[in-house]
Amino acid sequence: MERKKVILAVIILAIIGAGVASIAARHSSPQPVSSTYFLMDTVLTVTTTGGNAASINEQLHALASHVEDMTSFYKTGSETALVNAAAGKGPVAVSPEYASLLRTAAAVEDIDHGKTFDLAISPVSSLWGFTTKNFRVPDAKEISDALAYSHADQLVISDTTAQLRDPRARIDLGGIAKGYSLDVMEQYLATVKPQPKQVVVNFGGNLLLYSGGRKTNWKVGIQDPRGAGIIGYVTTGDAFVATSGDYERYFEKDGKRYCHIINPSTGYPCSLNQSVTLITTIEPMHGAYGDALGKSFFCSTAQRQRSLFDAVRSQGVVGAVIVDATGTVFTLGPIALTQESRP
Amino acid sequence: MKRSDRITGIILLTAAALVLGSRFVRHRTHGSVGEIRVNGTVVATVDLTSDEPQTLHIEGLVGPLVIVADGQGSIRVTESTCPDQICVHTLPARSPGDQIICVPNRMVITIQGNGTQIDAVAQ
Repeated sequence: MERKKVILAVIILAIIGAGVASIAARHSSPQPVSSTYFLMDTVLTVTTTGGNAASINEQLHALASHVEDMTSFYKTGSETALVNAAAGKGPVAVSPEYASLLRTAAAVEDIDHGKTFDLAISPVSSLWGFTTKNFRVPDAKEISDALAYSHADQLVISDTTAQLRDPRARIDLGGIAKGYSLDVMEQYLATVKPQPKQVVVNFGGNLLLYSGGRKTNWKVGIQDPRGAGIIGYVTTGDAFVATSGDYERYFEKDGKRYCHIINPSTGYPCSLNQSVTLITTIEPMHGAYGDALGKSFFCSTAQRQRSLFDAVRSQGVVGAVIVDATGTVFTLGPIALTQESRP
Repeated sequence: MKRSDRITGIILLTAAALVLGSRFVRHRTHGSVGEIRVNGTVVATVDLTSDEPQTLHIEGLVGPLVIVADGQGSIRVTESTCPDQICVHTLPARSPGDQIICVPNRMVITIQGNGTQIDAVAQ
């Protein structure tokens, strides 16, 4: 009896001690430093806790700017602009970095033979006005004509050159460049001294969660694609998280929604899903890979999503949260969506 | 068990409950502030716990925006002078970490606080 009491007292004191210690630790721990930058037609938000936080934020912005200068569809002098300007004329010299990014995109295209993700769909996107923001619904003939020269086989890549065969063909790396920026940022964070405690990067819907592997319980909220707030959260270790949705970049015509992600096999905006969130592990090029692959999932039926997931789960894809066109939510892989009552 | 032991036990349990409870309450009371920035500068903060609906007129980089807090914890952009209207399409923000962004106007609304302990929102 005496012994039980002692044990009980020790347990209770331990609870109090842990509580006090955790409150004390929170008061003495470094405060997060948050910075917001505008680039790639979206927003980059970096929140760094610990290390030289302000300098880390600036450096991550500089790295994203470098990727924008290299990949931008709009900026003259970018490697994308040079390849597009030389369409139909012959191979253009490209940097090893750019060639490697094109190969990552090609790897995603190859999974589905360009049916659900394709850098070369750009001329069709332009028909819909997504490059100029003069939105319109093209007629079927325009779309089928443009599709003839808007396919991955237009792009020929070597280690040092890229070439578009048809003079009307164009590539747009908008579907992979933000994810790739996170790859470049992660490489920098892995080596920076002193190490920050944790960094959250949100780049236009693509997240990088970095803690040097120390944090295993990141809580990632999943935006409700049709309502305010989140539908729940998933818990993960350090990861890249890519979201594709139909709920921000779209236009409406005659009561119908046309989103910015064009299905490369039809030339029409994807309408099979409201949102797809894909989680990939921290490994080289997985930010880019997840970004591009998210579009593939977004343009696929539930059945196709399952076979796609089986094909890529051994390649660092942890899991996916999908909201289909009817609003049904489901997950793929060993992740669970935790519902949360709204505060 | 002696009477004094029981009293000691009750005191200790109450203390433990208070410590754990206070942490919980701290998390619940934080959050629900909408911070509005233009070009990186905070131009307004909105208390989203208020029951009163509020309408704000914010001057963005290319023109005015109308931002409405509905008095039920959500905030949204109802009008903007930007060409693509992405900010107007963006669903109302209410969870910590939610953002509404207008790139042409360099305007960002961010829901502050750690009320739900969400680290980031995939949107």
